[in-house]
Amino acid sequence: MDSLLSNITILSLLLTPLVGGILVTIFRKKKIIEIVTISSASLILIQVFFILSTIIHEKTITAFGNAFYIDSFGAVILLPISIVGFVSVLYSKNYMGRQYDIGLVDDKHIVRYYQGLSIFLLSMLVVPITNNLGVMWVTVEATTLVSVLLIMLYFKENAIEAAWKYLIIATVGLSFALIGTVFFYYANITAGSSEDAMNWTGMVHNSKLFDPNLVKIAFVFILVGYGTKAGLAPMHTWLPDAHSEAPTPVSALLSGVLLNCALYGIIRFHIVSSGTLGHAFSDQLLIILAVVSIGIAAASIYFQKDMKRMLAYSSVEHMGLVSLGIGFGGMFGIYGAILQIINHAIAKPLMFFASGTVSQKYETKVMSKIKGIIKVMPVTGALFLIGGFALVGMPPFNIFLSEFLVLSSGFQSGQFLVTMIVIAFLVITFAVFLRHLIKMVFGNPVVEMKQDDMGKLAVIPMAILASLVIIFGFYIPDQLQTLVHNASNIINGGSII
Amino acid sequence: METIQLDILTISGAILLIATFGVIARRGFMDWLNAYRLQSVVLSAVTAIVGYVTGIWEIYIAAALTLVIKSLVIPKVLTYVTRSLEIEFKTETNPYLSLRASIIVSALLVAMSYFLSQQIPFKSDPVVNVYLPVSMAQFFLGLFALVNRRTALSQVVGLLIIENGLFLFTLVLTHGVSLIIEIGIFADILVGIVISSILLFRMSRTFDSLDVDKLENLRDD
Repeated sequence: MDSLLSNITILSLLLTPLVGGILVTIFRKKKIIEIVTISSASLILIQVFFILSTIIHEKTITAFGNAFYIDSFGAVILLPISIVGFVSVLYSKNYMGRQYDIGLVDDKHIVRYYQGLSIFLLSMLVVPITNNLGVMWVTVEATTLVSVLLIMLYFKENAIEAAWKYLIIATVGLSFALIGTVFFYYANITAGSSEDAMNWTGMVHNSKLFDPNLVKIAFVFILVGYGTKAGLAPMHTWLPDAHSEAPTPVSALLSGVLLNCALYGIIRFHIVSSGTLGHAFSDQLLIILAVVSIGIAAASIYFQKDMKRMLAYSSVEHMGLVSLGIGFGGMFGIYGAILQIINHAIAKPLMFFASGTVSQKYETKVMSKIKGIIKVMPVTGALFLIGGFALVGMPPFNIFLSEFLVLSSGFQSGQFLVTMIVIAFLVITFAVFLRHLIKMVFGNPVVEMKQDDMGKLAVIPMAILASLVIIFGFYIPDQLQTLVHNASNIINGGSII
Repeated sequence: METIQLDILTISGAILLIATFGVIARRGFMDWLNAYRLQSVVLSAVTAIVGYVTGIWEIYIAAALTLVIKSLVIPKVLTYVTRSLEIEFKTETNPYLSLRASIIVSALLVAMSYFLSQQIPFKSDPVVNVYLPVSMAQFFLGLFALVNRRTALSQVVGLLIIENGLFLFTLVLTHGVSLIIEIGIFADILVGIVISSILLFRMSRTFDSLDVDKLENLRDD
């Protein structure tokens, strides 16, 4: 692609949500801003598909000199952002409309909500396409701030508490990531790089010359920093609060997309540090954090009473699985990890949407008070079940495949003990999660309720995601396979293209 | 490097540390804010000095931004937001560690930062030698203030100190990464402060307290 065209592509991708946000600010009428946001989200989806098809053919896009750089790995992160962004906006119309009808939010809140959503999408879109690691840090920090604003939309005690914890913990955590980034930059300068020393491409290119001790310290800082934001235990404590108190479409974005963006930062630095130190150092650290995350998630899901908090802990588990795959390494592990990123990003929003609809209907999030979903809301109940089956890794749904790849790479790389421990945790999660799920879906509702699926626009986004969950369980399109394959080559071999 | 220049570096580093201790050793919010303001003025001067030593003009812009945003705008915003709060919300009456113990811990943290910065393989350079331990000390003291205090307001001040430490750290090691990143970082802080102020305000209304120990609805038990 020539440079003018790629400049225009990137510019229009970033301008779409920005213009959307501005239009929302100008019009302020509920009907109009819903249409504006839905169309801007669908435009983003179309543009991302265009970018993806270019990446498949040409492997990379660079724009504005070297400022923006998309490779297959960046593209793999872009895909969930656009898909989940689109379905979340679609779902928002119904969900926020209902909150509006029952008087939980007013016109001012709705405007603020859609403004926040557009800026949230914008800040997440910058993360996987910028080449400059400093800009990446700034935008990840920006996502924290915007999402805090979205969480504190409701004037409730719990929302304020969750927003406060999230703001403080994520900001402090990310300050570690900035220190790590500066260390890497410093290592790059002392290794002799002068121009664009903050660019990822330059760092990978120079990584063999870095001071190994400096890189070790730097990577630990990065892991703690972005790990906090990615919800890796033991830095995950903000996550269940924030994800459960946010408005449901925002929870879906936080869980399905934002966590990936933070993991993306870790993996980018993992590639650089592997160039200096070899794989072993960062692999080990990733595996340790992954096992702790999966274990803590299993224990927390076991004792969970709140539906959305359970889903939040399941995100901790899945982020653990992704870093486990990266840590095990090898073609299988990394391929599985990347597939896991995409699969989780599809299944988790489905579950959040279903649970949002359910909690609106039952007016509670406490699982013991929710019974007989399938009788009250047949379609939502069925989709809820599909999403739940997918999340615990039941065949033939999509996550089974990626989990299987990750675990088999564990055996391949000879890490028997770690893999067995993880499998034990996964079995616990599987059993407990399913028990919670089945208790909610079947049985008789405590109170007599009218059969109602809460409107077409609540069901359509879920149906889109559920069909993706089923399709990806059987068949991964060739284009996507090429993309994931190329991305795993980038992570595995450290080859820039 | 002339001795006078080195003296200036050392003295400004010392003032930065003293201003940080001003936050650790006082109870009142207004005292912290004054200490923070002093710290930010010195920080901006330090930034200008680094700009002068390295001869990169972009650093002067960062110095000006520091002066305007950190020593004028942020204290103004925080004073404005907290003007209607009652005095008991603004005073740290009961930190986890007493003030005396806090000062001892802080002194240890400063010593630790000097020790740590010698362990990390850096090029020998007077700017790095003088300011790097100071910036790490600020970072650790900010973290300590954050976890040791109970009121939400002092957590904000802790965040601000951490951020000043980060700024100095970044400046010293990178000599001003590039203007656009620094402006981004400034924008992030400013927005962060505004958001946390709104949250503080809501918290004081909803919980009738700014004690973070009261934030315990969301737990798994």
